[in-house]
Amino acid sequence: MTDLISRLARTPQGAAGLALVGLVLLVVVFGPLLAPYDPEAMAPLLRYKGPSLVHLLGTDQYGRDILSRLLVGARATVVMAVLATLLGTLVGALLGTASAFLGGRADEAIMRTVDAVMSIPSLLFALLIVNLLGKSGLNALLAIGIAFAPGMARVARSVALAVRKQDYVNAAIARGEGGFHIVVREMLPNVVAPIIVETTIRVAFAVMLFATLSFLGLGAQPPAPEWGLMVAEARKYLNLSPWMLIWPSIAIAIVAIGFNLLGDGLRDALNPRT
Amino acid sequence: MSPAYALKRCGLIVYTLLVVSLIVFAITQVLPADAATMLLGENATAEALAAVRERLGLEAPVWLQYARWLGGVVQGDFGTSLRTGLPVAPLMMEALGRSLLLALLSILLMLAIAVPLGVIAAVRRGRAADLIVSVLSYVGVSLPEFVTATVFVLVLADWLQILPASGYVAPTQDPLRALQHLALPVLTVSVILVAHVSRMVRSELVDVLHSDYVRAARLKGMKPRTVLLRHGLRNALLPTITIVALDVGYLLGGVIVVEEIFAIPGIGRQLIVAIQARDLPAIQAGALIMAATYSVANFAADLAYAWLDKRIQYD
Amino acid sequence: MEQPALTISGYSLDYLTPRGVHHALVDIDLAIARGEVLGLVGESGSGKTSLAWSIMRYLPGNARENGGRILLGRDDLRAMAPAAIEEIRGRRIGMVFQDPSTSLNPTLSLGIQLAEVLERHRGLTRRQAWREGEQMLARVGLKDPPGMMRRYPHEASGGEKQRVVIAQAFACQPECILFDEPTTALDVITARQILELFAELQAETGVASLYISHDLALVSRVADRVAVLHHGNMVEQGQVAGVFGAPREAYTRRLVAAVPRPDRRLVAELGPAEAAAAPLVAARGVSVEYGRPSAIARLFGRDRAPVVGNRAVSLDVRPGEIVGVVGESGSGKSTLARALTGLNPFSGEIVFDGRPVRGIADMDGAYRRDVQIIFQHPDSSLNPRQRIGEILARPLRLHDRLPGAAEAARIGELLEQVRLPATYAGRYPHQLSGGEKQRVAIARAFATAPRLVICDEITSALDVSVQAAVIELLLDLRRRHGTAYLFITHDLNLVRQIAHRIAVMYRGDLVEVLDAQAFSAGPTHPYTRSLVAAVPVPVG
Repeated sequence: MTDLISRLARTPQGAAGLALVGLVLLVVVFGPLLAPYDPEAMAPLLRYKGPSLVHLLGTDQYGRDILSRLLVGARATVVMAVLATLLGTLVGALLGTASAFLGGRADEAIMRTVDAVMSIPSLLFALLIVNLLGKSGLNALLAIGIAFAPGMARVARSVALAVRKQDYVNAAIARGEGGFHIVVREMLPNVVAPIIVETTIRVAFAVMLFATLSFLGLGAQPPAPEWGLMVAEARKYLNLSPWMLIWPSIAIAIVAIGFNLLGDGLRDALNPRT
Repeated sequence: MSPAYALKRCGLIVYTLLVVSLIVFAITQVLPADAATMLLGENATAEALAAVRERLGLEAPVWLQYARWLGGVVQGDFGTSLRTGLPVAPLMMEALGRSLLLALLSILLMLAIAVPLGVIAAVRRGRAADLIVSVLSYVGVSLPEFVTATVFVLVLADWLQILPASGYVAPTQDPLRALQHLALPVLTVSVILVAHVSRMVRSELVDVLHSDYVRAARLKGMKPRTVLLRHGLRNALLPTITIVALDVGYLLGGVIVVEEIFAIPGIGRQLIVAIQARDLPAIQAGALIMAATYSVANFAADLAYAWLDKRIQYD
Repeated sequence: MEQPALTISGYSLDYLTPRGVHHALVDIDLAIARGEVLGLVGESGSGKTSLAWSIMRYLPGNARENGGRILLGRDDLRAMAPAAIEEIRGRRIGMVFQDPSTSLNPTLSLGIQLAEVLERHRGLTRRQAWREGEQMLARVGLKDPPGMMRRYPHEASGGEKQRVVIAQAFACQPECILFDEPTTALDVITARQILELFAELQAETGVASLYISHDLALVSRVADRVAVLHHGNMVEQGQVAGVFGAPREAYTRRLVAAVPRPDRRLVAELGPAEAAAAPLVAARGVSVEYGRPSAIARLFGRDRAPVVGNRAVSLDVRPGEIVGVVGESGSGKSTLARALTGLNPFSGEIVFDGRPVRGIADMDGAYRRDVQIIFQHPDSSLNPRQRIGEILARPLRLHDRLPGAAEAARIGELLEQVRLPATYAGRYPHQLSGGEKQRVAIARAFATAPRLVICDEITSALDVSVQAAVIELLLDLRRRHGTAYLFITHDLNLVRQIAHRIAVMYRGDLVEVLDAQAFSAGPTHPYTRSLVAAVPVPVG
């Protein structure tokens, strides 16, 4: 683990990604403790304030402290995105690896269906599920997880097929290893790395999707300090205070950039040959 | 491309649409309330509900409902909207036209920006220009459409007041004003695509510029310009075609958000309205049209690839 | 004295790497006269390719030149501006590359790639260049030049593509041409034809040639003089017969000694009892088929014959015998290895030690233990995420189940048996050199004390001195354990040194099986004869 982190820190993307994601994780864990104000406390006299020493990032239309809302809201946004991506990875990796192993007609049938599901844009998929099954966080998580599974299945399958062709797998077959050993000991360690990379990058995408759902009014509901929702509300008061819009946008971008950079850094760090 | 392969691809598109319609149908079947309740409201009498159910064929088993719907679709009949009572298909096709205009303009703008950016980054690899393009593309892929849209509105519409903040004008009515109204949506949709595609162009071109045949062209004394354009970019853009086709998925998602924000009566906005009203026939038609657009775009990319790259022989 | 076409004097080159300065070339002196062929030999990392890049003025960003001159005729290439260098490349110096399948642009027709050189350097129009190009293709011995001009690289064979690359190099009548291993990627018979073309064009044009190769036997056939590089230093330079026949330097002597010579046998012949022993393994009519046409392809009547892997191959290996299998790429020699180890389904029968094996299901633990395979590329055959210790432990756990301490001791023994330190058990494959990795693969094969080891091109990725050491190791292991080998290779000289019998394969068929003496006396089958004729035998 320490070895991996030091390898990560060697590339500029890895180092920057590590720093940003580290910062985000700190906020997720300690955010509510660090928040200077109650995120829901209204102050009618302090509305639409720009950044100042009292309110570092300013206040919103109810005079709520934006920094506090961002710090508290990180949990909802980031944790949900990570969980949804993990769900999608799990389902997709199982599906893709199974497809690669079964081969032949089963592989063909699975991958054609996966392609078909991929032809529904992720956002549309999430909209359908969340709105028809009910606007709950769990449904949103489920929706994005399912929407991600086909893409992950494709990645897992192509990596598994590439690994399957390697001579160390042939060597294991030739010396009479059982299927379980070949899959778990020879193939899996080599399949996992690219999947971790893909998963990391997809967390960024999931954060953006969750925020978009909330923005469209189909995810978190007011007065939750969800970042996408904060942007949606801020649009109405653009002329009064652009800061209300700018800060949550930057927060979303930082999380997404962080996970994108970390994913690219991991790609290099997880390569055993470098 | 052999006729057999083309036939197979068409078959796959049909299969894709079948799967998509089944998924949408399945999701709507687990709805807490059925279409009749939705249509008449919670307070409707049992008799009225039963009458509507009878009219909509909701008493039949699920599979029969699906089969009936599918039978209609094959004949071009997507059913009537529960919301407006009008046939769904003409409405959706009209909306699709507006969305396709938005999507095509976005792809053109994206190519015009992304390809030069990618080329500059690849040619100046490791220099300042590469770093700048790289940072910009990380930022670009990390901004959801609703953020970029809002920022563009803030700067270009509110502060500078050079473009309208929302609305739609048909190009047949007034082409200039139509373009002005489409400018912000197109810009918004392009940002993520530019960021993604410029990175792809860069990495493909870097690979190609390190290939043996580009080295061979340099060592034949070809001018740098010939090496870059004829031997480098040509081969680097081929895989980019496939990437762009796969990005149509993101593009369609972006179109939904952008149409909602800028009040463009396209397919995305129709879908959101339909989803909010739980208008099943309209949702089905919209989702199918989106999936068909994606499938056709990928088929077209395969055709283009096979035409441009003589090595590929799909069969 | 006439000015040489190419003169290099006192030239040194360094690469700046994260691990420090690497001296790629140190104080190199050489000269090539008009009409002369200078062979440049050396193992990987000797700097022979770096020298080619220096001459072409095509150096990576981390290269630093430390003095010396490179003269083309009387012009100092190092002093020239990039634009002037572009004018010279392709016009006054040409280059022929190792692999024609990667050095031609896959999306441009062969004609365009040839014509663009003529347009660029001789100022011809596209139409003139095209006509001139057709003449060039006729000169390099291609049939139907107009048709070939319109073809794309994937529509031409390796030999045809290399002829087009050669046509490009000769197109502007350059003073000097660099040949960088131009036949290494080709099959032996095609390589032989390319060499003949080279000799013909060389004599006709009187160009000065620098012929870079790792293959000493080949260089001794094509070059007038030879230069030997080792770790960036010019070890020895002189007439071919002198350098290879009576090398002055210790390194050259070692290099020359490592080159396989068919007349220098490395194994004792089998005694009459051994030669008459019942076969350890006998393949009886073993066939492997690859690929079947899809349903849709059949529907459209595009029924293509399935790709043949092997057709009814019958071959015996006796206990302790070394049977060589030779053939060009695609001859089905590796397919045979895959069938014998259960990696490909096959039809027919394998009789192992008297027991019939009719399919993969019949290959039980005892068979797996007795029959081992070593692959060509250790990078692919050793799992990059396992330590050497884990890699060697697997066959032990599968077949022996030793207690932990005994297992560790056995792994140490295995490593020492292949002459690697026991401490290597803790390393990962990427921390080892190519030769060391192949030794680990050998140790793994011998972990179960097998009776037959199938060696599938195991030395073809290795340098000649490393190859000699690996072969020596294999023969030593055989002496100790009495193991039989099925030794698959494309290197005819090597197999004639070590095999008791040689099987020749061609397009999926077993052409003939000869014992070593009969092979030297003169094979009977015409294909085998052309194969033997195509392989250069080292001089000296």
